[in-house]
Amino acid sequence: MNKVFVVARKEWVDGFRDRRALYTLFFSTLFGPLIVGFMFSQFARQNKAAQEIQVPVVGREHAPILMNWLIQQSGVEIIPGPEDPEAAVRDRKSDFVLIVDKEFAAKFRESRPAPVQVVSDSTSQSTRSKVQRLNSLLNAFSAETGGLRLVSRGVSPQIVSALKVEQLEVATAQQRAAMIFNFIPMFLVIALFTAGMPIASDSTAGERERGSLEPLLLNPIPRSLLVAGKWLAAGGAALLGMLLTMSIMLTVLSRLALEELGVRNNIGTPQVLLLLAAVAPLGLLSPAVQMFVACFARSFKESQSYLGLLMIAPTLPGILAIFYPMTNRPWLHPIPVLGQYAMVTEILGGKFPGPASFIGALVVAVILTAVLLSLATRLFSSEKIIFGR
Amino acid sequence: MIAARNLHKAFGSVVAADSVSFSAPDGAVTGLLGPNGAGKTTSLRMIYGLLKPAGGQVEIDGLDIAANPLAAQSRIGVLPDISGLYARLTAREHIRYFGELHGLSRAEIDRRTAEWIGILDLSGIIDRRVAGFSHGERTKVAIARALIHNPQNILLDEPTNGLDVMSTRAVREIIRHLRSQGRCVVFSSHVMQEVSALCDRIVVMGHGRVVAEGTAEELLAQTGMASLEDAFVSLVGPQGEAE
Repeated sequence: MNKVFVVARKEWVDGFRDRRALYTLFFSTLFGPLIVGFMFSQFARQNKAAQEIQVPVVGREHAPILMNWLIQQSGVEIIPGPEDPEAAVRDRKSDFVLIVDKEFAAKFRESRPAPVQVVSDSTSQSTRSKVQRLNSLLNAFSAETGGLRLVSRGVSPQIVSALKVEQLEVATAQQRAAMIFNFIPMFLVIALFTAGMPIASDSTAGERERGSLEPLLLNPIPRSLLVAGKWLAAGGAALLGMLLTMSIMLTVLSRLALEELGVRNNIGTPQVLLLLAAVAPLGLLSPAVQMFVACFARSFKESQSYLGLLMIAPTLPGILAIFYPMTNRPWLHPIPVLGQYAMVTEILGGKFPGPASFIGALVVAVILTAVLLSLATRLFSSEKIIFGR
Repeated sequence: MIAARNLHKAFGSVVAADSVSFSAPDGAVTGLLGPNGAGKTTSLRMIYGLLKPAGGQVEIDGLDIAANPLAAQSRIGVLPDISGLYARLTAREHIRYFGELHGLSRAEIDRRTAEWIGILDLSGIIDRRVAGFSHGERTKVAIARALIHNPQNILLDEPTNGLDVMSTRAVREIIRHLRSQGRCVVFSSHVMQEVSALCDRIVVMGHGRVVAEGTAEELLAQTGMASLEDAFVSLVGPQGEAE
């Protein structure tokens, strides 16, 4: 049993002296947290931008009453409009332009609809919320002024409102942010796979390539313990990568002003432990899969291209999970990869999968790992693998 | 003491070893001599237990290697045909790794490493990573690593292949040193002079078979030739001339 640790320690030392592998580990652990941080800050910027708008106005002199009303609204600033409003919006020089018609003053005085134009570009994602804000301000001015006119004629303004529409948003603030939280499980799983990969392939395909497998197998150690030691080293690196990603991710999240987005950052110690418990079973399995696959490769490079393809297996469902969160489907939990996505999404969303989910995921992962390791042990005894270079 | 009996191995339709039998006694150097492709490496691989013979039996000090692979392997030290090293580990770490896999204590490993540093003149390179090592330096590390557990039986597959004069001399010194300690040494080579200079007994192989076995004098008497080289050619046939 001690020999398992002898093998693991050697692979660990060897693996961590590999500069390229270290760079891979470093960048792959930083990658996810940085993207999530970037997305949250973009989200925050847009939110803030929609609240504070600068309104370029052409012909403001025609409608002093509207301008005064707009300026009194919070976060609104009136600036002079461009010469050619349509061209300016088309070329994205202005987000939108408000044009006040020459006849505004006359029609307004006569209590007839006073014409204004909003020039905007609906294909521009980033300006959409600002245009919405302007439109709702204009509607509010219209309703308010119309109401005052009715009152002055002795009519209740309520008469013109046949409906009273209230918008009740069912998506909680957390769920809105969960859209971005949905990226987190994918990055944790990717970190597991990328961090375990260098050792998993160097200790199998790498041994074959160097011709060091034959002398290694001459030592009096059962092949199964040899495989177990290599797996332990790769699994340790995978978990280390995942832990690094998770701690950087949590640091980034705690630095972001999530509250301003109406999102509560409710990730405390219990959530972190649950996240670890949810992802760890995959940490057993992923190096076993990678080792098994890499055994078929004759060189480190060849194994890297196999393992690169293998990365599709965790990332594809991860991308799908961003758009179709796999919540409320407990039967997914024991399925490797899918289970991790489902459980992590639920934990980040403030829900807790039951103990059965964690046990089920662990049992399935342990069984699959054992099967893969015994297959890898067989490969290590195969004459084609030992001598086929 | 190594005994091979009727070893047989084929790869597809190519018969690599056909009823290979020979024995190698303790306190002697046994040379496996034959041209490339004669079945030397295949036979050695069956003896050290990494190739499974299709037929036949191997005994290491009376232990059947198929039945007791781990016990038998701890009684042999092997320098295989290709003995790859780990570029990012130092020479000392290589030796320590194999020592630990043999279950030796740290103190024992340190003591024997110090011995090997003396025998192989490794002091200048022992704590350097093997990445920039010359072929000779690599072979020395591979030998120390393979023999760290003081095995009674030693198998060397073309140990001097590609070595310069000084390194070849060093390897020959080690082989003589091991014989003087009463070990059983088997080494393969296709170089006539090396075999005749070092070996107490010669096993001549050709086409996957053992074609002759004995001391140099016995081989000369058997073939009626004046030189070992002529004896070799007459035993192995035209295939040997290509070498």
